[in-house]
Amino acid sequence: MSTVPRHTTVSTAPAPAAPSPPDPAATGPTGSASSAPGRRGRPAPGRAAVRAVLPAAAFFAVLVGGWQLVASRSDNVLVPDVPTVWSALSDTVTQPLFYDSLGATLLRVGLGFALAFVTAVVVGIAMGRVEFVRRFFEPAVLIGLTVPGLVWALLCVIWFGVSLTNPVVAVALSAAPALTLSIYQGTRAMDSELHEMAYVYRFSLTTKLRYLWLPSLLPALLSGARLGLSLSWKVIVLVEMFGMSSGVGYELNNQFAAQNVAGVLSWTLLFALVMAVLEYGVLQSLERRLGRWRKAATV
Amino acid sequence: MTGTDTDTTSGAPAERPRQRPYAVLDGVGKEFTSARTGERETVFDDFSLTVHHGELVAVVGASGTGKTTLLHLVAGLEHPDSGRITLNDGTLADGSPGPTGANGTDGAGPRLGVVFQQPRLLDWLSVRRNVELALTSTGLDPAGASQALADVGLAQYADRYPSVLSGGQRQRAAVARAFAVQPELVLLDEPFSALDQLTARRLRLLLQDLWTARPRTGLLVTHNPLEAAFLADRVIVLEGRPARVHAEFAIDLPRPRAPEDPRVFTHQTEILAALG
Repeated sequence: MSTVPRHTTVSTAPAPAAPSPPDPAATGPTGSASSAPGRRGRPAPGRAAVRAVLPAAAFFAVLVGGWQLVASRSDNVLVPDVPTVWSALSDTVTQPLFYDSLGATLLRVGLGFALAFVTAVVVGIAMGRVEFVRRFFEPAVLIGLTVPGLVWALLCVIWFGVSLTNPVVAVALSAAPALTLSIYQGTRAMDSELHEMAYVYRFSLTTKLRYLWLPSLLPALLSGARLGLSLSWKVIVLVEMFGMSSGVGYELNNQFAAQNVAGVLSWTLLFALVMAVLEYGVLQSLERRLGRWRKAATV
Repeated sequence: MTGTDTDTTSGAPAERPRQRPYAVLDGVGKEFTSARTGERETVFDDFSLTVHHGELVAVVGASGTGKTTLLHLVAGLEHPDSGRITLNDGTLADGSPGPTGANGTDGAGPRLGVVFQQPRLLDWLSVRRNVELALTSTGLDPAGASQALADVGLAQYADRYPSVLSGGQRQRAAVARAFAVQPELVLLDEPFSALDQLTARRLRLLLQDLWTARPRTGLLVTHNPLEAAFLADRVIVLEGRPARVHAEFAIDLPRPRAPEDPRVFTHQTEILAALG
């Protein structure tokens, strides 16, 4: 179902520091004016935007064109042509039902994801710091990673019925293992030398958390969040299909029962669009904003 | 300097009676389990060393003689298996490293200024914020950061991120941080060995400037005999495992010294000879 293209502007990896004179500070402020980090190295913003968007636009053109070709050739009611899908799409967007369903689904995902996130932060950090905790939770994480989201969805429907607990627990169970693993690895990768520095300069616990732990773990937290969210979307739709009477998954199931392929497609496309906005728009821009100090190294 | 000033009874057998001991390692023992062979290795056994008030002692030795372990022991980053380490007449670490007391967080214990081999700056904070954090953590006014950075020639780079600075500038920032906290004891762990020759030389001169402007007590660990002879008041050559003091040299040269000074060179030659 995924029609979301991977953008090419993801990389925020630290580039090797630009070669600089051995120690300009000793030679005085001679080079300060010319060495101010300018924007001269970057291409014009308009052209860069075209370059970034063009391949994705081409992909969608090929997809829509190909779909239309297949639909017109097959002449089957189960393969609706592009104008039919488009009108179903605009119908869905104009219904209040869409926004109610989306709101319900997002609330469930939000709560479940928050639960998973908090658990994963506590367990992941503990695993990274304490050998016993690592050995204790390792099998749990492994099992959690291998159990399909569908199984969690089924089990939670059986155990919790139509209450809000059902989707929240199902989402938490599917997202937590991957998140925990990511945070555990982030904790392991933390620089022990900086901990020594924090010790000799008598950093308080709050200072350490705010200025050492949080920034060190941030990449792991964000990549874990993206992974966890993408797993959450997949399981929430299943839970809503089987066990809920509202939400995007429930509406999808209705369209499926009515054999309305255009309806299934329009709900899927809209849902995917919202998720893409959340993942690429919100999370990625957050990552860029918080990684400013890395960017500074590349100019 | 804080602390008692009529300390004549205790202390090491002082070769110069006017000197008061600041950092005393008394019969220190330290073992490690080798990561490769899994065998216990004794780095220090009944090892004693005294650093006096206002003295910069350089510890020189080949790799693996426990120089950095020595510095970690004094910094409280590691605890001795036996023996005592006292700083400024207060016990820092003893034979029984308990979970409390031994590690003086919350401003207990003397203020340390440490320059490691790598700058160890927080890359996500500006240089100024890095220094400010160390200042506030030791209970000092963060406004002192600007002056500390100006002292090392980084005034105009204060608001940059460490990642845009050169290696030498980053190490300057680390030096600024170490001296900004008005340390009672300065610990220098191969501070300039990761830099190129020219930059290292400039930083040694800078360190000497800071030292002559305001003499402090310090322990310098290095494998560079010239660095030791140029900077220190006393040079100790470590050798063997467990480590022993193989030779000891007093460098009685007035500061500021010039790196090209033939007397510094003579001392360097002596140290080199002792290193074998």
